[in-house]
Amino acid sequence: MMTGNTAAAWAARLADVDYVPAYPITPQTEIIETIAKWTSEGVMKAKLIQLESEHSMLTAAGTASLTGARVFTATSSQGLLYGFEMLYSIAGWRAPIVLVNVSRGVAAPITLEPDHNDVLAARDSGFMQFHAETCQEVLDLILIAYRVSEDKQIMLPSIVNMDGFYLSFTREPVRLPSPKTVADFLPPYEAFKPFRANTSVVKGPPVLGGHIYTYFKYNLHESMNRALAVFEKAAEEYRHLTERDLRLCEGFMLEDAEYVLVMTNSFTTAGRKAVKLLRERNIPAGLLKITVVRPFPKKQIVDALRNRKAVAVFDQNISLGLGGILYNEIAGTLYHAKNRPETILSVVGGLGGKYIALEEFETIFDLLIHPEKIDSTEPVFLFRKDELRDVEKALKLAGCGGWFG
Amino acid sequence: MRTLLLGTPVLLKVRFHGRGGQGVKTSCRILGRAAFLTGYVAQDSPIYGAERRGAPVAGFTRIADQPILERGYIFDPHILIVMDETLLEDWMAKPLEGLVDGGIVFINTSHHQHFPETNNHYIVVEHNLTDEALDIIGKPVISAPAAAAAAKLTGVIEKQALLEATAEELYEIGLDDETIQKNLHVVSNVFEKVPTVPHRFNEAPAARRQVISLTVGKVVLHEISNMGNAYLRRTGNWRIFRPVVDYEKCTGCMICFIYCPDSVISLDEANKPVIDYDNCKGCMICMVECPLRAISAVREGKIVA
Repeated sequence: MMTGNTAAAWAARLADVDYVPAYPITPQTEIIETIAKWTSEGVMKAKLIQLESEHSMLTAAGTASLTGARVFTATSSQGLLYGFEMLYSIAGWRAPIVLVNVSRGVAAPITLEPDHNDVLAARDSGFMQFHAETCQEVLDLILIAYRVSEDKQIMLPSIVNMDGFYLSFTREPVRLPSPKTVADFLPPYEAFKPFRANTSVVKGPPVLGGHIYTYFKYNLHESMNRALAVFEKAAEEYRHLTERDLRLCEGFMLEDAEYVLVMTNSFTTAGRKAVKLLRERNIPAGLLKITVVRPFPKKQIVDALRNRKAVAVFDQNISLGLGGILYNEIAGTLYHAKNRPETILSVVGGLGGKYIALEEFETIFDLLIHPEKIDSTEPVFLFRKDELRDVEKALKLAGCGGWFG
Repeated sequence: MRTLLLGTPVLLKVRFHGRGGQGVKTSCRILGRAAFLTGYVAQDSPIYGAERRGAPVAGFTRIADQPILERGYIFDPHILIVMDETLLEDWMAKPLEGLVDGGIVFINTSHHQHFPETNNHYIVVEHNLTDEALDIIGKPVISAPAAAAAAKLTGVIEKQALLEATAEELYEIGLDDETIQKNLHVVSNVFEKVPTVPHRFNEAPAARRQVISLTVGKVVLHEISNMGNAYLRRTGNWRIFRPVVDYEKCTGCMICFIYCPDSVISLDEANKPVIDYDNCKGCMICMVECPLRAISAVREGKIVA
């Protein structure tokens, strides 16, 4: 039994990382606390340093990686955003670090509970993104992330995402692979022309004239795209070694499903329950979980969703003024697909960790079965009457009725 | 909107090349405003990289008699204004690149004849703006005189508009009245002295550039030797004045060695300074700091790089 945070710390330990720059933030702190305990006991060899901010932390992470050190670090929400500009630099430097983001809604209002606006803000940065549903997947995906990141065809950093509280502080059984298994799976990291005190090395030089910039950006994009196949190969090997099956995206009761719900991260577990229940009522429901969000597995998503009657994309995030982020990516991906589902519904829910009740899942599938009820220009915003009463009570206590009454 | 004179293109493109601190941005702005005040459609913009004195800078002014449907770098100028002759040999600035056939190159030079008198492809006009600026303004800042040269060479700018534009732009960057008056004086001189050159631009249709589908197919790391490499770049040609040590007066106190911001002063056995003229930018801090006034400023007369 271990929490998602402990699973992440174990993955770093098993990957035999050299350097862990850190800065505390809830709900990520337990990862670093665990590693700190191990390094002080001497059971983990890594050098752990606390920096003065996430910006420094990420700068240290990227530059250390360029010396040839295997680097692990973790942050969350505000911390990720505070270090944000370095994400693009680290990717551009081709520094294959692994960063765990423990998702937490971004202030204001301030919260500690999860949604994915933090991690999805980084979706264009050049970090690959692997999103975990379970504590086991946290561990598995970190190990696979190192393997893919450090692959000579890829050389890009990764973010492994887990939901705060729902995974970070939730204990469940996690199987640890043996150090020998991990060593077989994960060869030592080999940096290209690493920084050394006595040689001049150029990393990320200034370029003026957009063509050089374009060339390098395109090169990053190409490497990202190659990572789909590299991930699949790594996952296959991992499957042989550990019997755990990780996919770019994964179907649940999908084979004959007509109504499909697309999800990511830990809320997928609740989605599975809802799908099972609908199946008991003879409704051909199914679920598609997307594990690898960057690179975006377009082909696999199209293959999984074509020929379905109706698809709902559940976004635990909101691009204010547009809607769900993944909905728009998936709708764009499906546009050119033959036999694409006629109905693609956008659902926004779980913001700030808001619980999704079974009734809310039922509402989603009801709309998929009766698409005439859908307003295709706006996402369905999951909210319940009991929740509204609760909010209104809090507003009344605060003596606030809002500007318009 | 005024119609451009017969024989000129519908869109007249002027490119300025200079060094950070010379006033390239102001030059292209003065020309832009002068064209606007004359009644044309105008557009001006600068481009620069590292924001530091001495680095190559370019400025662009477009003049037209109808809305201008392009922006950014001017690749095929009709008129080139080279504000610093040492840039002619700069492999990064490449000031002559792209000049249209029959185009005009203006070179600010203290020693004439960079080019043969006759050239089949472009017309060269040379003039010493720096010494004119030093004489009248007292500083080697040539934004306004360079704009005046450009305005004359366009053949379409009215002198009154040029003076008005100069005053306005220099006021906007915060110059005092006296300095503005001196600049107007130089502008007037330069506008009169620079010859009228008839436009015989021969704009051949540009060779078609092939659009490709980019495939790199491997990870390209950043081991790229980019332009501006500090080791390869000789910054000695940024100098307008050269620090010259009077070794009779020098006591070897090492103060110049300590103050030199670019570490181009080394010491010989007697602790006397040896200046690396390949890289000295001519900031003259050594001259100011020397307690014995043993370092003097000598106007540069030739290209060192």
